[in-house]
Amino acid sequence: MVESGGARVVETPEALEELLTAHPDYDVQLESLNQRQLAWRRFKRHRMARLGSSMFLTMVIIGIVGPQLLPFEKNSYVPSNQIVQIGRPPMVVPYFHPFGETTQLQYDVLTLVVNGIGLSLLISVCATFIATCIGTFVGGIAGYFGGWLDTILMRIVDALLAMPLIYLILVASEFIGHGAASWFTVMLIFALIGWLQTARLVRSVMLSLREEDYVDAARVAGVSQMRIIFRHLLPNALSPIIVAATLSIAAFITAEAFVSFVGYGIDPMTPTLGNILNGAQEAINAGNWWWAVFPGAAIVLIVLGINFMGDGLQDALDPRAKI
Amino acid sequence: MKQKPDQADYQTGSTVSGPPTDPEILLEVRDLHTYFHVMDGTVKAVDGVDFSLKRGETLGIVGESGCGKSVTALTIMQLLDIPPGEIVSGEIWFDGRDLLSLPPEEMRHVRGADIAMIFQEPMTSLNPVFTIGDQISEAIILHQHVGKKEAMARAIDSLKAVGINAPERRVKQYPHEMSGGIRQRVMIAMALSCNPKLVIADEPTTALDVTIQAQILELIKKLQVDTGAALLLITHDLAVVAETVQNVAVMYAGRVVEAGPVEDVLLRPQHPYTLGLLNSIPALHKRGRQLDVIKGVVPNPFRMPPGCKFAPRCPYAWDRCSQGEPSLVEIPGRKVLSRCYLHTFEAASRRADFDRAAVATVSGGTR
Repeated sequence: MVESGGARVVETPEALEELLTAHPDYDVQLESLNQRQLAWRRFKRHRMARLGSSMFLTMVIIGIVGPQLLPFEKNSYVPSNQIVQIGRPPMVVPYFHPFGETTQLQYDVLTLVVNGIGLSLLISVCATFIATCIGTFVGGIAGYFGGWLDTILMRIVDALLAMPLIYLILVASEFIGHGAASWFTVMLIFALIGWLQTARLVRSVMLSLREEDYVDAARVAGVSQMRIIFRHLLPNALSPIIVAATLSIAAFITAEAFVSFVGYGIDPMTPTLGNILNGAQEAINAGNWWWAVFPGAAIVLIVLGINFMGDGLQDALDPRAKI
Repeated sequence: MKQKPDQADYQTGSTVSGPPTDPEILLEVRDLHTYFHVMDGTVKAVDGVDFSLKRGETLGIVGESGCGKSVTALTIMQLLDIPPGEIVSGEIWFDGRDLLSLPPEEMRHVRGADIAMIFQEPMTSLNPVFTIGDQISEAIILHQHVGKKEAMARAIDSLKAVGINAPERRVKQYPHEMSGGIRQRVMIAMALSCNPKLVIADEPTTALDVTIQAQILELIKKLQVDTGAALLLITHDLAVVAETVQNVAVMYAGRVVEAGPVEDVLLRPQHPYTLGLLNSIPALHKRGRQLDVIKGVVPNPFRMPPGCKFAPRCPYAWDRCSQGEPSLVEIPGRKVLSRCYLHTFEAASRRADFDRAAVATVSGGTR
């Protein structure tokens, strides 16, 4: 039982029973949960969602807090009095590097991975945010107005989607960044390509929502078209958008890893997960397995966590689901 | 209302234009034609509708499904999707302005502020993600230019006016927490919250059960009298019309076929279609008999009969009915307009049959 606005909210039938036995003339006020509360309750009860979101949140916390706590600057040399050609495996004394260290520059792999998680998440979350905004705007307008506007916008989307996007990203980042783009440039490239799917999704949702009676009711009340789209219809379309956005974070993480791995992405000296893997290519031949395994594991954990979370969100945000 | 020449050609129909001369007339619809251009051709959903409504008066529009009554309302509100819809011709004079020539932005202010609408489906006409208070106060903020707090206070007042208990608590609730009757009351509160001059109610009680229907009709009637707004009630239910409005227009296949004061039309029908509708009402005195129906179906919108649109189903039709379309004329000695050749001199004997049938139906119905 929790206090809410002076009235007691009774959450289970047992609690109500107990309350009524204790105070027979207690004035019971039933409060129904709104959609958001119901969705949150379903999400909490979803086991995979709990697992996935805790994985994802852990990674986010590591990415934000980690670089502050680690003893090494991400670009600094390891204090070492001997030149190590190959790098050292994890936990080798006398220097404490739990994930091992790298060759040449002799970075601490843990430092690299922690910074890489932070930067990769920053790129994909920002790109997702921008892509979702653009996609929602374009899709919302196209779906609501229909007609020639819809035709033009959606044919543009179709044309862009007809291109192999992964090569488009490679070409764009090579062209703009010359193989050493800043994280911001790469993020923008991702965002400008990633809105296409969102636009399609939002359009299809809007197409069905605009036929709802409450749209007519809003128009009758003299509400403007834009306000109807973005204030009346958008909240109703939010569930699929949230799910798609969540999953697209994972897609951008892998995309960044791929682009940087093949060497067309962010400046190789910037520690993103893809860049670390790129640097590990030769090291792994030399037997330095730890250099590739830890950033790889970080990617897997993030993507898996997000996918579980997206799955759970999908179930939680479906109002017909009874969990 | 003006008379139309016999050809069904609308272009020759318009004889009057400009604002109505009588300032008491709030809404005048003249020779309205709304078509839908679809893949198979053109559907003439509204094909020459005329009626007028004075300030503070009530008018009912009755007809079967597909006769164009809802499209008429949507045309007045300009809520049609264009394309496929097209307002081909006609004039809609509202409060001295022709709504059809208003720019969209001005029309938006007419909606909600001057004309409000109540819908058929209270279950789906409220947005599920907003509280009732948010939805009512949105229109108030939009049209009355008041702050959020003031708007919420007015929303509470308007809920009180439609007889909702504990409105302070209700404004914080979502639509799914309410029954159909309460939601329709909320819709009415929303419609009346900006003191409109005209309320269009499109089948406001069709989705409700009978006891709630009566309450809602009572409420609409009472609020109409209290606020002095004119009411345009669209329904297929003659009983609703009989109880609620002063004047009635009967529509068939996109046209008004009979119009006049409600007691004249319902007690002394002048058009075979109106008589057919009255005949098809199930009644206690018809116990044990098969229900009367109007034989046949509404004509296919792509293949309208050439003359009177009702002729193929009309028991009183003769050759002339399939040759030309009658115009809506005032019946001598009555306050009723009818679109039927029965009222011409040559149909005197058929007219006697019709009158006998009408008397039988009505006296049976009122017994």
